[in-house]
Amino acid sequence: MSYIDELVTALGKEKVLTDPSEKYVYGADWSPRTPDEFVPPDVVVLPRTTRDVQRTIKIAYAHEVPVTAGGGLTGMLGGAVAIYGGIYLDTTTMNSIVEIDSKNQTARVQVGATLQEVNDAVQPYDLWLPHQPESKWVSTVGSAIACDNDSTFGVRYGKILNCLLSAEIVTGTGEILELGHRKAHFTSSGYKLKDLLAGSEGTLGVITEATLKLEPIPATRRVDMLVFPRMGAAVDYLNRLLKAGLCIEAAHINCKRRLKFYTHSYSLKYGRDPEIPAWAEALLAIAFAGDTEVVETQRNYALKIAKDFEAQLVEEREIVDAWWASKYTLDFEPFKQKWPDSQKQKKFGAADPGVPMGRLEEFYHKYVEIAEKHQLEIIGMNAYLEHPNSIGFSLSCAVFVDYRNADEVRRFRDFHDELSKLAVAFEGTMSTFMSDTYQKAPYLELEHGASLKYMREVKRIFDPKGILNPGKKFLREVGKK
Amino acid sequence: MSGLEGFKDELETCFGTSCGFCERGCPVYQDLKVKTLCMRGRNRTMLGLLQGKFEITPAVVQAAFECTLCGNCDRWCALKNTEHTQAFREFLLKHGVEPMKEHSSLALSLKNYGNPWFQPRSARNRWMKGLNIPKAAPGQHEVLFFAGCTSAVTKPLNRSLVATAKLLQKAGVKFSTMGQDEPCCGSTLLRVGQTDAFNELSAANLKKFEALGVKKIVTACPGCYTTLKKSLEGAGSKIKVTHAAQEIAQLVKDGKIKVKKSTERMTYHDPCHLGRLGGVFDEPRTIVESVATLVEMPNNRYESRCCGAGAGLQTAFPKLSKNLASKRIAEAKATGATTLVTSCPFCETQLRTIPGMKVVDLMELLLDSAQDIEKNNGQNKKTV
Repeated sequence: MSYIDELVTALGKEKVLTDPSEKYVYGADWSPRTPDEFVPPDVVVLPRTTRDVQRTIKIAYAHEVPVTAGGGLTGMLGGAVAIYGGIYLDTTTMNSIVEIDSKNQTARVQVGATLQEVNDAVQPYDLWLPHQPESKWVSTVGSAIACDNDSTFGVRYGKILNCLLSAEIVTGTGEILELGHRKAHFTSSGYKLKDLLAGSEGTLGVITEATLKLEPIPATRRVDMLVFPRMGAAVDYLNRLLKAGLCIEAAHINCKRRLKFYTHSYSLKYGRDPEIPAWAEALLAIAFAGDTEVVETQRNYALKIAKDFEAQLVEEREIVDAWWASKYTLDFEPFKQKWPDSQKQKKFGAADPGVPMGRLEEFYHKYVEIAEKHQLEIIGMNAYLEHPNSIGFSLSCAVFVDYRNADEVRRFRDFHDELSKLAVAFEGTMSTFMSDTYQKAPYLELEHGASLKYMREVKRIFDPKGILNPGKKFLREVGKK
Repeated sequence: MSGLEGFKDELETCFGTSCGFCERGCPVYQDLKVKTLCMRGRNRTMLGLLQGKFEITPAVVQAAFECTLCGNCDRWCALKNTEHTQAFREFLLKHGVEPMKEHSSLALSLKNYGNPWFQPRSARNRWMKGLNIPKAAPGQHEVLFFAGCTSAVTKPLNRSLVATAKLLQKAGVKFSTMGQDEPCCGSTLLRVGQTDAFNELSAANLKKFEALGVKKIVTACPGCYTTLKKSLEGAGSKIKVTHAAQEIAQLVKDGKIKVKKSTERMTYHDPCHLGRLGGVFDEPRTIVESVATLVEMPNNRYESRCCGAGAGLQTAFPKLSKNLASKRIAEAKATGATTLVTSCPFCETQLRTIPGMKVVDLMELLLDSAQDIEKNNGQNKKTV
């Protein structure tokens, strides 16, 4: 009996898609690729329960068939594309909210729930999950963990790992494990295996359920934008705010080119891009949230200090609102959503390095230089603060990619690789929100050195036959089926 | 290039973006969670088909037809997704796919009886008995009341047409109807992909309307509203098409229809073709608010959820269709409203199949209130 027949027997035919047209649609994510570069899996499985996932993996283990788990398919670097075929496990079919514990401010969910679905469910309890990427309507809890993607509110709440208390996984042998510390916020016990899941790309196990730490919904929020003559001045300003003891909810430094990408609704309304002073090189979007009086006090203090850094407040509210619509509310005119209205010809593509705060401006100039070298249209850079109460940057170094042009897609990939490698030379990291996927696998040793060997060993413990998302993080071993 | 080929650029744009925002609120996807049954996946299926990556299979046909064309995906996108799907259906029929048997019977009935429901043409006269509505004749009336097949030939739905006509008469609006000569707008043909037959019918309809010399067509059916509006505007006709809710809301505002407001809590369900696809949101609410206390469902206006009746889903995929209706009724119940008001014969029929909620047509609701005030001889405390 073939493994696909076994899947049908074990799960029922309604949970197993085998038609070529059905498999085809699961063959690409949000990453820049040409319309010819679909990589369909050999079969798609739609599990409803952890047991379904376990049955699937046990069959895959017996037949040594690759299993690639996916969520919203909004990955920007092909992480959930089944490059070696086999089984695509669509976790979006597992989207139940298992428990909302309002007293302890936690939620237990099946990880196919989108981040928005979780928030819709917990909002009546005056709680929210603050991990908020722009893809939150589609991005699932599982993919947020496995990809370790970005969040608008990282400087206050961190990323998904800061919200993740515990997770259930199915390992590469089909064993079900719970990793974490139940509803406790932290632990000093044992090894923190749960933390390995962040950015694991489904290579250690398929995440099936998660216990998430929720936060009270702030009563008010004020979002502002300040312009600075230099990017470094914006960094110094943020440092000053933290030294002053302010609690920043969101902070993003954009180069002036990047603003245009974020103000789609403004451009639609006025038929032109927003204007900022000619001298401004950087824009800082910053938010404070909480009780009105506290927010006003913090905001006023922040604006008072701004003068010491040659900063100027952007008075035109519609510029700020347009930016915020793009980053958070996604509240665009009906039938004119930014995606895909802003990229009908070329699509967004990015590298996602992280660099130390003192080298941000220097790195920005390198990014522009490298994009120009590869003849790519520059969108601009956004530096998100993604670590609670610290200046920890996640950089989105973006370009437009003509995805209908194979040569341009190749040049984009070269650009991505060059910037990733450069970030290591800048004493930073290659990846801060897309993970490694197959793209960075060939040169991952550059970042991790000898420790890469230990990572391989960790992978071997969880997935001895190497069936879980092969080719991601590590090049696939020669001789594998 | 026409048909599906004409949308290839848009299909590639969808592939290039791949945001998947169309999945938010897609009634079919949220129920079944199969990516081929939402617009991102469906666009990919069309693209793969045009690229010759696979053949037409039952799964491809299912991807094309298991959709209500409710326009939710368009609300979250800048692409013409519902048009892609209609073109997809047309493409399949032109490439040898037999129409689904449920859909081919609708088309057959339309050909033989002038309506999709196997009712004799004379059935269209039934609802007008005793109303003294003049038959449309060239140059006689500027306003034509277009009843629409479904309400005209389905007895339980006649009441809505009667209510609309009575309200127009009360307000002194002069109008006529075509009676049994009224044609089908062709919405059904369009939705199930029979585009050539639709275009032929539309052209014939335009000639009939122009020959009558009417300046405005008022219809009580949202499907007729969007179909006639689009086809007449597309043909460059100067005939204006409106939905009855638009006309009557204005008459209420102008004080030409007197009504009594109660404290009863009611919720309003936006029919896809009137709301999201037709852009008419406020006027039905004006009417509901004039007679009751309106409480909104969480998903309202542009985010209204399809009742599940649309685009042939009710006939071809009844189980799914019923699931969607159940979800919408559950949402309505959660508002604490006693009554769900709607303004579409399909939504009304569909939502009534789910027990536990009173479903009322907008015009019937208004007429009841107007008649009530007349009975009480204007003694009510508050009038609008």
